[in-house]
Amino acid sequence: MNILTRLQLFFQITGHYASYFLAYIFETIFFLIFVVIALIAMIYIFRKYMARLQLRIGPNRVGKFGLLQLIADALKLVGKESIIPKLRDDFAYKAAPYIVFIGLVVGFVLIPYGSFYWIGSLTITHSNVSLILFFGAIAMMPIGEVLAGISSHNKYAVIGAFRGIAKDVSFEVPMMISAVALVMMDSALSRTPLNFETLVSTQFIPFGILQPLGLFVFMVAMIARSSYTPFDLAESDSEIVSGYSTEYSGMRFGLFYMGMFGSIFLGSLVVSLLYLGGFNGPYSSYAGFVYLLIKGLILVLISFLIWLSMPRIRVDRFINFGWKILLPISIINLIWAGFLTLGVIS
Amino acid sequence: MIEVKEPKRIPLIGSLQGMYTVFKHLFKKPITVQYPEEKAYTPARFKFRIFLSMDDCVGCTLCEQVCPNLSIRMIVVERNNPHNKRNLYPQVNFGTCTVCRNCEEICPTEAIYLTHELETARTRNNFFYSPEELQKTESEVKK
Repeated sequence: MNILTRLQLFFQITGHYASYFLAYIFETIFFLIFVVIALIAMIYIFRKYMARLQLRIGPNRVGKFGLLQLIADALKLVGKESIIPKLRDDFAYKAAPYIVFIGLVVGFVLIPYGSFYWIGSLTITHSNVSLILFFGAIAMMPIGEVLAGISSHNKYAVIGAFRGIAKDVSFEVPMMISAVALVMMDSALSRTPLNFETLVSTQFIPFGILQPLGLFVFMVAMIARSSYTPFDLAESDSEIVSGYSTEYSGMRFGLFYMGMFGSIFLGSLVVSLLYLGGFNGPYSSYAGFVYLLIKGLILVLISFLIWLSMPRIRVDRFINFGWKILLPISIINLIWAGFLTLGVIS
Repeated sequence: MIEVKEPKRIPLIGSLQGMYTVFKHLFKKPITVQYPEEKAYTPARFKFRIFLSMDDCVGCTLCEQVCPNLSIRMIVVERNNPHNKRNLYPQVNFGTCTVCRNCEEICPTEAIYLTHELETARTRNNFFYSPEELQKTESEVKK
């Protein structure tokens, strides 16, 4: 049983095709509500957590404990005037925030969520190559950032886009190599190692224990993908005004902002799925989703701690770090995974 | 040429130490004071609002002369006070008062003095306190 079948059974009275149609539509609606609530919760948790680490209180005026602060902020952003540069490249300028956001949402669609109580599996996409699809989807987000940078007709935005490209090129290769190590290890355990769900559910020990180097490389890559403080080269606010999002205001800026926080949550979920066992655990056919959320939230808090305690790394040092440290580590990890696959598992 | 030896560094240890230091602050009490609901501690000898006893005031204008910011102006208030034949009483502008307490020090009859009262929130351009208002407490002035 999964969520689609449950919804289809609920709408069965309308007939076979209509019930599937309604089930797909309602599944999409529930999923979008989940994503939006997750984003709002992420921003709220970040603001409260940052405030407590800086000995402040944080938002506490709008609603109980400031819970409605984010809704007030969203209303403010929607109501604001959108100031757009005159010499912009119109289509690219307007499409860029949506590309970032769509990349994020598609990334959320493609990861497995485990099962929850009587509903069964909450996973939305069932594909034998969902891991590849996932990496393809989150590779859309830098495209939006680069488009935003070069279409704004602003020198800071262009510099931000260049830095973003340099950053992406440096960490994508180690990230994919560490993902390949996982797939290699899982190919001995299941027949469809590229299926995200089987990759997670066949982890008899969390892969992070077997490949600690891979966990390190992948975590760093996910931090760089979300582009927050140690690696926020693309929008270093103290040097280049706000990087690629300099010329954006109103809700378009809000989409960039949500894309950043969403990619932190997505990255944490993916690290917990690939390396920490994800939804595996006792009674995982009833509470798998809860395990996933707890592991993801702990990783989110660690990410925020990294964000709040580290200074920004210089561009050349990050590129050196990517090519001279992360890449060799990921190759060593690949060799180690090969030893494990041939010597221990099979 | 002197060769400077770089100290041996273990990678990531410094970052982890910094993260631990930041994390420890999570368990400390926030220092923010939520002002209207809770009030910050003020020492017992903290003084702010100027008070005036109109019966003791002799209209010598010393407070006006000594005020460094020209916050005090003497105005005429018709009042039957045998010590103050010219009917001159100080009017204070709290918008410019810096609480230097010179007026309190120089007053020969101790008619003008400062008290513990702090909250003189008023609308903009209306920081003037007439001599009658200086006699009253802040809650009475608001009425």
